[in-house]
Parts: sequence; structure tokens; C-alpha cells
Amino acid sequence: MPALLDDIEACVPALRRYARALTHDADRADDLVQDCLERAVRKRFLWRPTGTVRAWLFKMLLNIHRNDLRRERRARGAFVAGVPPVEPSAPAAQPSRLALAETARAMQGLPPEQREALLLVVLEGLSYSEAATVLSIPVGTLMSRIGRARAALRRLADSEAPRLRSVK
Amino acid sequence: MSRGSAKIHEADLLAYVDGVLDEHRRSEVEAYLSANPESAETVEAWQRQNGAIRELYGHVAEEAVPTRLDIHRIAERRRRGSGPVRLAAAAAVLLALGVAGGWFARDALAPFAGEQAVLVSEAMAAHRLYSSEVVHPVEVAAPQEAHLATWLSKRLDRPLNIPDLRSAGFDLVGGRLLPAGGRPAAQFMYEDASGLRVTLYIVPTPDKREMAFRYASSDRLHSFYWRDAMISCALVGDLPREQLRVLALDTYRQLE
Repeated sequence: MPALLDDIEACVPALRRYARALTHDADRADDLVQDCLERAVRKRFLWRPTGTVRAWLFKMLLNIHRNDLRRERRARGAFVAGVPPVEPSAPAAQPSRLALAETARAMQGLPPEQREALLLVVLEGLSYSEAATVLSIPVGTLMSRIGRARAALRRLADSEAPRLRSVK
Repeated sequence: MSRGSAKIHEADLLAYVDGVLDEHRRSEVEAYLSANPESAETVEAWQRQNGAIRELYGHVAEEAVPTRLDIHRIAERRRRGSGPVRLAAAAAVLLALGVAGGWFARDALAPFAGEQAVLVSEAMAAHRLYSSEVVHPVEVAAPQEAHLATWLSKRLDRPLNIPDLRSAGFDLVGGRLLPAGGRPAAQFMYEDASGLRVTLYIVPTPDKREMAFRYASSDRLHSFYWRDAMISCALVGDLPREQLRVLALDTYRQLE
């Protein structure tokens, strides 16, 4: 199935980007993508051209990611699997860098299902219906997750801002 | 959020920010925003979020892809690494796809037939016994899902992810440990809104041999069953074959 492999290959940069944003950790992200690609190769005989290869891959990547988080959570007992904290921005950072760090931090504070939804649409440019398919939820649910994610990001960014500024 | 002439809801504002509105609706939203500074401020904040997210992570897609993520290499390595049994399993799937246009490979791996028959009959017997149980259908109920997964993973000595079948309308009821010819077996039970139950029966695969999907039915019960290197599974239920096939496919994909 060389054609399918080529289609998969074309999605790898996007998968890496999405995985990086989900995990906020370059190595972890590539591990995740590798697991996803290996699973795709293993299951490629089961692939049905009902949707896009891209949606199939994102779905698989998310399943693996969620299982990883669940396993970690189990291993650590009550702790929620965390993502490594963002490097604190230097006091002399430009305002735009400050805003980026706030956003990065706020993204990590989102419930995973909101982060997954928002990133599919904003970062990966999926349509609402494609993103809803990837997440196996109705479009209305997708939009409400995105709405809640945006509201929370705004709140988190607002509450971070004064604290960061006072560092200057 | 629907003051102003055209009725504008938050969903429209979201769709506006995500660039998925048609031109007409977009201009309506713009007119609304110019009359509603508070909403306009919200929209601007959301646009800044988009900008920040893309700036944070957008560059990753421009990076060179590491060789370990080369899909052709991964496929090649798997081809080389696959022994005769794996090839047989792959061939069985291909046969199933080619011949039946579906999943069903009839006796493509005849040597396993005895073991499979045992798996399916155990799975069906367990289904009959417990799926009709009202008071104690499971030992550990769905709210303790994490505990259930840990416990059964330990008893079967392999990591089990409990598949989530909610998108197909089936909620997890729970699970139990069962004896299967001196070995432990796990049973997970699911139920739809009408109370219809399906069970997933899992035993460790003793010899790492994989097997493609098969279908069996007996006395109104239907089952799709398969095995990978770690676990052998049978999904059992009294529901139309096609519906069960879809559930089995979902289950298979979620189980590593």
C-alpha cells in the first residue's frame, strides 16, 4: 500500500505539531507520533477510506495519548499526569513573549478534552465537522468545548498577567 | 450575546474567529461587532489566542522530520520483522478484505481452530451467565474503572485498556475476573440505553501468535473474536452482526 504510506507521510509534520502542543515536550511528542505511526502500519489493512487519512491518524494519536495519560495517572496514584512546566520567561522578555508564555501555561491548565478540541481547530485547521469526527463527539459538543477552552484561556491569561508583570 | 440587528450567538463568534463562516454571515457578524464593543473585545482576545497558539507551535511542522518517524522505514522494519505467523495473520486479513469485502476470514488459520472454539464458547457461556444478572452483573462497577483496569491487568499480567464504546451508545457497566481452564480471564460488560448488553472476554494469548478477525454465532448470540500477540478477545452480544462488527472494530482499535 505505497499510496497510503505516502498519505501518512504527508501528515507527519502536522502530527508532530499537534503532539508537541498536546504534550509540550519535544521528545514525548515524537514518541507519541512514533507509536501512532507504528500502529498505523500495523493496522493499515483495516483502514477504510470512509474518512480522511489525516482524521484516522489524529484519532489514533489521541487514543494513544489518552492511554498514556491514563497509565501515568494510574502509576502515580491520585496525581493527574502533568506536563513539564514551561520555562519561566525571563524578566526582560518582550511583551509578546510574555503573552506566549502565558498562553502556553494557560493551555496546560485546560482540561485535556478542551485542549484536544481547540488545537485541532486552531493549530491544525480542521473544520468543526472533521474535528468532531476525530474526537467522536457531535459538532455541538465540539463547539462548546472550544468555547469553554477560550473562556478559560482568557481567564487564566488574565490572572497570570499581573503576577508576571510584577516580576519586572 | 444576541443584542443587535442580526441574531448573533456565541457559536457565530467562535465560527467567525475560526474562519468557518460564509461571506454573508461573516459580514453580519462584523456589523454586530462594530455595534457591540464588548463582543468585539472578546473576539479580539480569541484572535490573539489563535495567534499565540500558532506562534508557539506552528514552527514544529517546518522542522525536518527525524528518521525514526520515517513511515517507509517503519513499514520496512515491520516487514522484515514479521515471521510466518504474522504473515499468515496479515494474509488472513487480506483474504477477508478481498473475499468477503469485510472482516470475516473463514478458517484461514485452521491450526488454531480448537483454541478459538474454546475462546468463543467460554466467552458465550460467560455472557449468558452474567449478562442476564440484574443485581450483580459485575464484580467491579464502572465508577471504579481505573481500579478495574489495574486489577485485571495485574491478574492477566498484561496492560489492559478498557475500551470506551460510548460513541456507539454503549456504557461500561463494569467487569469481573473469571476462570478459563485454570487461567484467569477478564470480562467487561457494556450496556446501551435500552439495557442491551454486550460483553468483551479477554484471555492472555499464550504463544504470541496473532489471528485475524473471525465471526461465530450460536443460539442467538453472535461473536467477533481475534487475537494479537498479547491478548485474545471475543466480543459477544445478541445484536445484529453488522452492529456488533462495528463495535468489535472500535474495541479492536482501542485495545493495544
